[in-house]
Amino acid sequence: MNNTLPLKGIRVVNFGWVWAGPVVGQTLGFLGAEVFKIESRARVDMTRNLPPFAEGKASPDRSLSNHACWAGNGSVSLNLKEPEALQLAKELIAKSDVVVENFGPGVMERLGLGYEALREVKDDIILFSMPGAGLYGPMKDLRTYGLSLTSTTGLDSLVGYKGGDPIPVENAFSDPYAGILGAFAVLAALNHRRNTGFGQHIDFSQQEAVMQMVGPAYMDYALNGRSGGPKSNEHPLAAMAPHGVFRCKGDDRWISIVVGSDDEWHKLLAALNHPEWFTVSEFATREQRLAHIDTLHALIGEWTAQFDDRELAALLQSRGVAATPVLNVGDLLDDPHYQSRKTFIQVEHPLGFKETIYGSYVKLSRSEVDVRPGPMIGQNNDYVFRELLGLSEERYRQLIERQVIY
Amino acid sequence: MKSPGSDAPAKGALSGIKVLDFGQMVSAPYCAKLFSDYGADVIKVELPAGDAARDVGPFPGDVAHREKSGLYFINNTNKRGVTCDVTSPAGRSLFLRLLAWADVLIENNPPGQMAAWQLDYASIQAVNPKLVMISITPFGQSGPYSAWHGYDLNAYHLTGASSRYCGRPGEMPLEHGTFSADYFGAISAATWGMAAVYGRELVGGGQHVDVSCAEAIAAAFIGGQNIGGYAQDGRFDKRTGVGMPQGAPATILPCKDGHVWMLALEPGQWNGLRKVMGNPDWADLEIFQNMKTRAENADVIYSFIVEWTMQHTKMEIQEKCQAVGCPITAVYTVAEAAEQAHLKARGYFVDMEHPELGRIRNLGGPFKLPASPGGPVRPAPLLGQHNEEVYGEVLGLSVGEIEVLRSQGVV
Repeated sequence: MNNTLPLKGIRVVNFGWVWAGPVVGQTLGFLGAEVFKIESRARVDMTRNLPPFAEGKASPDRSLSNHACWAGNGSVSLNLKEPEALQLAKELIAKSDVVVENFGPGVMERLGLGYEALREVKDDIILFSMPGAGLYGPMKDLRTYGLSLTSTTGLDSLVGYKGGDPIPVENAFSDPYAGILGAFAVLAALNHRRNTGFGQHIDFSQQEAVMQMVGPAYMDYALNGRSGGPKSNEHPLAAMAPHGVFRCKGDDRWISIVVGSDDEWHKLLAALNHPEWFTVSEFATREQRLAHIDTLHALIGEWTAQFDDRELAALLQSRGVAATPVLNVGDLLDDPHYQSRKTFIQVEHPLGFKETIYGSYVKLSRSEVDVRPGPMIGQNNDYVFRELLGLSEERYRQLIERQVIY
Repeated sequence: MKSPGSDAPAKGALSGIKVLDFGQMVSAPYCAKLFSDYGADVIKVELPAGDAARDVGPFPGDVAHREKSGLYFINNTNKRGVTCDVTSPAGRSLFLRLLAWADVLIENNPPGQMAAWQLDYASIQAVNPKLVMISITPFGQSGPYSAWHGYDLNAYHLTGASSRYCGRPGEMPLEHGTFSADYFGAISAATWGMAAVYGRELVGGGQHVDVSCAEAIAAAFIGGQNIGGYAQDGRFDKRTGVGMPQGAPATILPCKDGHVWMLALEPGQWNGLRKVMGNPDWADLEIFQNMKTRAENADVIYSFIVEWTMQHTKMEIQEKCQAVGCPITAVYTVAEAAEQAHLKARGYFVDMEHPELGRIRNLGGPFKLPASPGGPVRPAPLLGQHNEEVYGEVLGLSVGEIEVLRSQGVV
């Protein structure tokens, strides 16, 4: 292991807000890039005001979820309504490699920060735009929230109990998904710049990025004209059975069990205490198990209900059957696997409190990722304005007084 | 000023990067597809039995055929395909020669399996120290569950995501009806792996990129929003079955021809919705003028709104509500999304000719790079389709040598 991260030397200016845009910055930041979120006290990002707050004290610099989701970003505070602030943003961009934004189409142009304007200050700049439905097209201005964006991809139509109505996913899976994949798009453009010397303006439609997850169900439409619907936790392509989540002993405790082959079926049989009903011929082959899946799942559920979820998962794993306890949020922190992998880490915030955020969720064998909590508003102002942009002490102080740097 | 338009015919952004895809099903193949669709030279290496996705479908007419799997088709575009039986000494040595050629190896085999084949990172690093090895597994290369057997579903339910965010209270927690854990692991792996490739000179060589699909979701989705509060206050929430329990309306509701994602939280959005609904008297009630008090009376307000939505189609509702600034959308079925005019206008669908499947409309790339176009162009390879080309041109084997390997069952 060493302290060199692969994106050291890359500088990113991040206009991203809420969740998806900041995650692009976070991903590049974890990997070594120097990332500055541009934000302002004139319009505080709503995620900075989301409770719970550190030590229960409400403040835009104390939101615990914000600190986790924005970790990896630095912060520079500029009130972009002020022409001088806009000029300073451009001076920073002139010394940067990548600009990230997740506004609607046209907003960057209206701010005076469109791709052509940015090229005037940095010819090979990479502008990464990630509007909900892309930069052009008849629905480009469609308003969505992160958690409902998936409704336009077909994905939401697949979520729910078998045969029932769609059930909403209660948070935006698409935000971290698009944020992390967005960083891949930036890396591709950086590679292109290395190959050719040219930057570009990336059109990253969150809708299209997330719709890739619908691919397997989409193929059933492309090949057979079928449009799927909710089917609980059954296999997305009806290729395995059993394949589900089953009730265990206790309040809201569950286990996931998947049998991927006849061999694994026999291993599950061997783990059962009362296997009479499993030996009936209607479950002997994969095709038969799929054909009688409701009966099969009901019988397995009767059996699993007698067991503790973790004990049963360990038992089934010892017999070679794929099974995991269904964890809730309260289980994660003490789970031995996540503890062993340092998935969640306690960090010291510059304001003097300790908090728990997620750490490097991917492990690199050579590069050590140093994760720090998301920034206070303007945390990197001194460094950026004094050192990087070389403002005089007096001008810096004036700009703060006049709330240009704010 | 230089103009990208004056450049020679644009190459893919990742041109020059050589990748081996030694994966099956979804996670590693989709990760490798992100490389191949944006210009990397990706060789898919299959055991003689082939990627398990070939047995999964969907198949045209539900008739199983190893060259007609929809899952294989969609996640293996722009790749060349070879077979190699790494379980034999000759096959393993052939695989090592491919590794010496490659910049990146992407795989999703169980850690114990790679070790049994003597293809663990230590063995591979000895062959090619500059190689970036990307391993994507349900639980990762280390930790007490690393030896566990698991599929996408098992990984997803280990993350807290289903318990927290999907399903009715007390009822079965749900995944999303697709391979959510595999896809999340795949995009995490592609990004971190690509960074490792990009910075390879800077950090002094290749490295092992260890991705656990479960861990990525537990961290970046669930951990980000929940773990700080739980660690500090010891409290946590669970699924409610409603889109957003603390504000209303914010959930999926039925309408005349399907469902809509009903969302009107801010005052302007709520007033817009009232107007579209024809300013019904009930909507004037004081308790309905604030998203929180609306949420406290969710059953009442949802029953009123459903009376209206059931009179209208999902597209009518989307268009009228969007026009007044409400972020309300239709819940598109897969068929409706596949025929969406917006996606068609953006060229999101790509027609491809496949030797066994015929002409098939595929999904395009997940993002657009104007200066270095991406997306699928060539269909997924048939099993061993490029054996001669790859083993001949890339490794320099003679026709006779390849024939010997074939007779030994290595390829």
